[in-house]
Amino acid sequence: MALRSISRRFGSRVLSYRSSSVASLHSHATSFGFQQVKEEEKSKLVGNVFSNVASSYDIMNDVMSGGLHRLWKERLVGKLSPFAGMKHLDVAGGTGDVAFRIFDAVNSVKRRALRKVDEDSLEETQIYVCDINPNMLNVGKQRAAERGLGDNKSLVWVEGDAEALSFDDNSMDGYTIAFGIRNVTHIEKALAEAYRVLKRGGRFLCLELSHVDIPVFKDVYDLYSFKVIPNLGELIAGDRESYQYLVESIRRFPPQEKFATMIADAGFEKVEYENLVGGVVAIHSAIKL
Amino acid sequence: MYRTAAKRLLGAGLTTSRLLRSTIIPSSYTSNLCTSSMGHTESPIINQSGPTAASSTGTGEGPRRKPRPEFEEEQARVLSASLRHVARLGWTEEAMTAGSRDVGVSPSIVGSFSRREAALVEYFMDECLQLLIDRVDSGLDLQNLIPSERISKLIRIRLEMQVPYISKWPQALSIQAHPVNVPTSFKQRAMLVDEIWHTVGDGASDLDWYVKRTVLGGVYSTTEIYMLTDDSPEYRDTWEFLDDRVKDAFDLKKSIQEAKYFAQDIGAGVGKSFQGVMQSMSTRGGRSSSSF
Repeated sequence: MALRSISRRFGSRVLSYRSSSVASLHSHATSFGFQQVKEEEKSKLVGNVFSNVASSYDIMNDVMSGGLHRLWKERLVGKLSPFAGMKHLDVAGGTGDVAFRIFDAVNSVKRRALRKVDEDSLEETQIYVCDINPNMLNVGKQRAAERGLGDNKSLVWVEGDAEALSFDDNSMDGYTIAFGIRNVTHIEKALAEAYRVLKRGGRFLCLELSHVDIPVFKDVYDLYSFKVIPNLGELIAGDRESYQYLVESIRRFPPQEKFATMIADAGFEKVEYENLVGGVVAIHSAIKL
Repeated sequence: MYRTAAKRLLGAGLTTSRLLRSTIIPSSYTSNLCTSSMGHTESPIINQSGPTAASSTGTGEGPRRKPRPEFEEEQARVLSASLRHVARLGWTEEAMTAGSRDVGVSPSIVGSFSRREAALVEYFMDECLQLLIDRVDSGLDLQNLIPSERISKLIRIRLEMQVPYISKWPQALSIQAHPVNVPTSFKQRAMLVDEIWHTVGDGASDLDWYVKRTVLGGVYSTTEIYMLTDDSPEYRDTWEFLDDRVKDAFDLKKSIQEAKYFAQDIGAGVGKSFQGVMQSMSTRGGRSSSSF
């Protein structure tokens, strides 16, 4: 009963924000969590969030998801099936979590097919890690150094905006964005950029916290999101607001079907998605033809 | 007639892939086969985004998605190019990577094929079946042969298509035998056997239908496996083995037929004597009743 009323309260909160967002669409307002902010401000605010949490970002991910985010990222890379000589772009992957996994996958492919893959193509492998936030990139570079990949030529760290990538058209074999597209001001622009940089046959994969539709589980998940996560954020990262933003921004992100339609509208083919843990996260995949 | 029976047995996917040239199994179909958990909603999305896409075409906003078959064409192109690398790299993702490089598509596309290597093996199976049908349609001389010879000739033509890949064929068989791939590989084999019976000119749809196909499936598979270890010139031993097995099968058919007749005779005999007993009983009963 208590659960019900809590979820109803949140539900009505979400609803009221939705209706107000429609009204203010024309004044170029966008959402920052449940707040309405000016478009120009959103990127700054998101920037602040990630500057604040950069150092404890991965620990928080572990705590919040109970370590599950590792499995989700493994799944993402598994779906990508990286190959030697691939040019890959990981957007919003500052701490290198996805990039390292792709790197490992390529190199295990190398071990498996040692005689079949020529070394040249392997050295051509390049994984670009693009993040708008230099603090996050620094964490990633530091972790690369710890892994002994500090001056590995396969990993390239680039500071850049997902809405205006600094890469050439048709230059990438793969594009991944894990827990990032939610924070982008214009999702359509980010998708258009992804489409632009991908080669023919290149794949777009997006791992994102999404929407749960299973009745009771949804209530539990809402309770956990709004009651537990901000407190965890305060306790571990010393930053309640950033994690309040996190859970709110998840609710503002378009649901699976809607997002899939957006991907298709950007020109992608074979748009599919897979829900993990009942929709807590979803992996959208598509291909450019 | 047999086609309807086949449809009943193997589902509607059969006829569609048979009609298409350069056939592949639609990925939505295959993914439905292997993913049934609620987490996977791969195919419904196409249906659901369909109307939205259509309605927004009306408003003329943004570029439209091309229809889905394009992906399948692309997949077929990549897979057909990949076959050239199979002899060297095996039925592997590496072969498909090399194949996609050949046709100028990013090897990334391989990751989007459902069940990866199985896609390549299944493509090959479909291609071979199509080739076989083409050869039959283009006037393969079968009229002068008796049915058993026709069957061994057709199986031989089909198996000869695997010769270039023979060193890697065990790998293909193991991929096909993987539980996830069994539904498709079973279906493909059934289609092949069906095609052979059809070409031989068998139109029956009685219970024999299943027996015939099972037996021929057995002959085909054992010959296929025999071929793997055959190092005689031009697989002479294999073809001999095949002829013998087909003969066995026809002998079996004959002995089944004989057994059937025998059973009928016995049945008739037993029936007659049973009838006799009943008759004598009823007449005796009649007599006894009349004596009252």
